[in-house]
Amino acid sequence: MQRPLVAVVDDDESVRESLPDLLGEFGFDSKVFQSAEEFLVSASVGQTKCLVLDIAMPGMTGFDLQQELKVRGQSIPIIFITAQKDDTVRTRALKQGAVGFLAKPFSDTALLSALNTALGLR
Amino acid sequence: MSAEPERSTEEIKHLRRCINDLVSVIALPATWTGGAPSQIVGNSLDALVSMLSLDFIYARLRESTGTVFTEMVRVGSSWEPKLQPEEIRERLQPWLENDSEKLPVIVREFFGERAIALVPLQLGMLAEIGVIVAGSQRADFPQQTERLVLNIAANQAAIGLQESGLLRTQRQIASDLDQRVAERTRELATINEELIREIGERKKKEEELRVNEEALRLAHGQIARSEERWRSVFENSAIGVALTDLDGRFIAANPVFQKMLGYTEEELEQLRFLDITVEEDREANWGLVQELLKGKRRQFQIEKQYRRKNGGAVWVRNSVSMVTGSEGVPQFLMALSEDVSEQHEAKLALDKARSDLAHVARVSTLSALTASIAHEVNQPLSGIVTNASTCLRMLDSNPPNLEGARETARRTIRDGNRASEVITRLRALFSKKSASFEPFDLNEAAKEVIALSGGELQRNRVIVQTELASELPSVLGDRIQIQQVILNLIRNASDAMSAVDDRPRELLVETEREESGTVRLRVRDTGTGINPEIEEKLFDAFHTTKGDGMGIGLSVSRSIMERHQGRLWAIRNEGHGAAFLFSIPCSTNT
Repeated sequence: MQRPLVAVVDDDESVRESLPDLLGEFGFDSKVFQSAEEFLVSASVGQTKCLVLDIAMPGMTGFDLQQELKVRGQSIPIIFITAQKDDTVRTRALKQGAVGFLAKPFSDTALLSALNTALGLR
Repeated sequence: MSAEPERSTEEIKHLRRCINDLVSVIALPATWTGGAPSQIVGNSLDALVSMLSLDFIYARLRESTGTVFTEMVRVGSSWEPKLQPEEIRERLQPWLENDSEKLPVIVREFFGERAIALVPLQLGMLAEIGVIVAGSQRADFPQQTERLVLNIAANQAAIGLQESGLLRTQRQIASDLDQRVAERTRELATINEELIREIGERKKKEEELRVNEEALRLAHGQIARSEERWRSVFENSAIGVALTDLDGRFIAANPVFQKMLGYTEEELEQLRFLDITVEEDREANWGLVQELLKGKRRQFQIEKQYRRKNGGAVWVRNSVSMVTGSEGVPQFLMALSEDVSEQHEAKLALDKARSDLAHVARVSTLSALTASIAHEVNQPLSGIVTNASTCLRMLDSNPPNLEGARETARRTIRDGNRASEVITRLRALFSKKSASFEPFDLNEAAKEVIALSGGELQRNRVIVQTELASELPSVLGDRIQIQQVILNLIRNASDAMSAVDDRPRELLVETEREESGTVRLRVRDTGTGINPEIEEKLFDAFHTTKGDGMGIGLSVSRSIMERHQGRLWAIRNEGHGAAFLFSIPCSTNT
């Protein structure tokens, strides 16, 4: 049985290091990308069942990537993860159709819940 | 009838002859016109010797000087040998030398064997002209008619001689006169020339004198006016002026300088400028003066402190130059001294404000933007939590994934250390006291920020204008944080105009009181304006239109304003550019 692919896009190395192991424990396959641009050009876009996406990044931000995917007609569920606790950012993220919004640091259960929501919607 | 008529005939003949002679004698002067005495006398003697058939006739004329005589003699044809005038003079000497009035009528003398009757005739009334002596050996000599002819001839000659003498005298006088006139004329001409020359020279000298006097008068006037002017400049100068000798001892000081130092001019004259310069500035100051004296520099500027008479210090900016004499010899030092104490205090205050602002820039960036701080802190925390959760899950699995747990535990420790470092850094940033809310004057705060940004704005060729409302109520807030917002808005405006070259880069800072008990500040530029597409994102964190920007300035600013119960917003100008505005409550309102 093929495990669903979760893509992680974050410029922070500790996130890229730690999340795949946790996602593996949850029973997902994962791929990590250090920028939105890198993800867009990868072959994984079409297979990705859920996107765990950082907001503040050099170059394209998480919001920019969300917009770009919408333009391309790729409706991948997105869980934003951000180090900002700003309510305006959260509001905006959810308004634009994000499945989840997790403020770093987030608990493993919060992530799992968001992933289930994302994949359940699908 | 024989003797009587004979005698009568003879007599008539004689008379006729006499009359003819007289006529001839009377005619003689006609030939003398302009003649010389010798010609007159010679002519008379020739006529007489011939007419009267004389043996000889002698004449002796007195020259005009009176002591020299001219002699001449005429001898008849029958007289042999020739008779010399000296012989006759010798015979007549005895009575010729005597008084002329005593001339004898006739003298009989022998010349050789011949008995000669000598008849002297005086020339002039008293023989003052001379004497004529006629000699004949005839026994009847001189007959009456002969004596008549002789006398008339002598008179004629005398008259002729007198006229001749007069004429000569007249000529002489005339000549003398002419000569004297000519000489006098020459003298006069010379004198005249001399006079003309002297007059010319005098006029020239007078003109020169006049010109010199005028020049002198003008020069005096100019010197007086110049002195007056310089004295006035010295006395009324708005900055201190002091002169010292080459040792630095005061020679003169104007009122401003005296007031600045608290010393009178007399007191200063007892001091060297180093005496009143604070200890730490003396060496550098004296070094610069030495360079002046050695000609290494023409002048120098120094900012230093003087010790006032009352012990206080005053900051001055001195421009010191050497004043040299006509041959470039150093004479004294001149210092133009400006009291810059206030500027110095302002500079210190500004430095402090700048330091405070720099601090606030850091503090507010982090304190107002929790996102930014969270990013720093939460990133490693996120790693810790994820790794720790994973670790637990790996240990809980059956069988436990010990290798994975070990790896995730190791990462957890690493991220924990990272978080600790971040917190240490943040603690350092926050070490300054936290923001305090107090009433303050927004206009003053804005002015300070404008002054602080002056250099940067000038470099960007931005023209700054202010329209600050008078009698603006004070506002309540953290002055430094609000200044940070103003600074941020001004920098954004300046950056927005950096690419503008087709119009003036104008920046207008305005303040005004609002109805709602708030004060509004507006920063308006003529920059590129706000692109409608990004208008929404303008105040978002991490949104930036600047190549090198962080995109947190406006976000931080808005956070700051919100924490002040104020707000920050932007509008597009009708023309070019944009305006950013904030409003903040007045202090009396809260």
